[in-house]
Amino acid sequence: MGIEGVKGESDADLVGRVLAGESDCYSGLVARYRDRLGRYAMRMLGNSADAEDALQETFVRGYRSLARCTNPDRFGAWMFGILVNRCRTIGGQRARRHARVQNDEPALERASVAHSETRDALREEINWAIAQLSDTHREAFLLKHVEELSYEEMMELTGVKLSALKMRVARAREELRRLLSEANGD
Amino acid sequence: MTDSNDKLDRAIELLKEPVELDPAIDVRVMNAIASEPRPNGWKRRLWFVLDWLLRGRSIRVSPLGGLALAAGVAVIVVYSRSLPIPSDDAAVSFAAEQSSAVQFVIVAPTASAVSLVGDFNDWDPDATPMQLVADNRVWTVTIPLNSGRYRYAFLVNGDTWLSDPSAPPVQDDEFGRPGSVVTIGET
Repeated sequence: MGIEGVKGESDADLVGRVLAGESDCYSGLVARYRDRLGRYAMRMLGNSADAEDALQETFVRGYRSLARCTNPDRFGAWMFGILVNRCRTIGGQRARRHARVQNDEPALERASVAHSETRDALREEINWAIAQLSDTHREAFLLKHVEELSYEEMMELTGVKLSALKMRVARAREELRRLLSEANGD
Repeated sequence: MTDSNDKLDRAIELLKEPVELDPAIDVRVMNAIASEPRPNGWKRRLWFVLDWLLRGRSIRVSPLGGLALAAGVAVIVVYSRSLPIPSDDAAVSFAAEQSSAVQFVIVAPTASAVSLVGDFNDWDPDATPMQLVADNRVWTVTIPLNSGRYRYAFLVNGDTWLSDPSAPPVQDDEFGRPGSVVTIGET
């Protein structure tokens, strides 16, 4: 069964069909959540290789543990929880090491280059700035401002207390303001 | 500050843009899961084993001795000795040679319902309800487990996950929920 055949079906319907033995229906869930989950992984890990690894591992773990998805109507949120933890693990193992190597020289160069107003230049500055944040601050910032989750949803996903999440978001915002100003030579 | 706020708002908008990933990621995922067992398959096989093990057989379980009933919630897991499984029964040939009756105990005096969830029952809240004993404070259930490492937790009143403070915590859980690890047989 291809993706076309699962359009219009709810997440719960697809989860039920996969659990009933129609494994191919999982492709519908992958297609449905690939882009959003991939965006978070990319922003969190900073490179496509790690992001794709995280995404693939997340979907495979989700499939393996699908019977544990006790609320299949919220399959997407459940998968996001898996992805957040995968990114933490992969980030700790690989991405930070890579990011340091990739970012050090460009950071110095970028800070001294006259700012271009082009969209690509701005995007590069933002990617550089977001990579400078600590993992915990970056995670909180992305979940709040890019994925637009509520603090209640963030607490559920991360297991972090409300006060700590608010502090991380606030500090991430402050740090990003400073970094973006530095990148522009302000 | 207004200028830096504008930059931050602009950054957030750009971070929301779609990212380019390998277009074949869907294929990679589906190829990877092709080698995985069906997500519910093990559950069905396990219940077959449970049914076979429990049908008309006695399971030796160690007494709870030494249960320290502290205030609040405490959790104790007690192991029995291994249960031999006849090797001439082809229907259960997939079961490990050594299976242990494992008693899970939680002291939860204010709970109205407790279930045991773990790798052994696909984390199904309805699969393994626990029974209330001992002055309406202690909940218990005994299940046979083959040798191996299992992650587990207690689900209290259907919505509160509790780990076992006396057992190693889960280090690799992908869901961020509290959980513990029990290892049966070889360590």
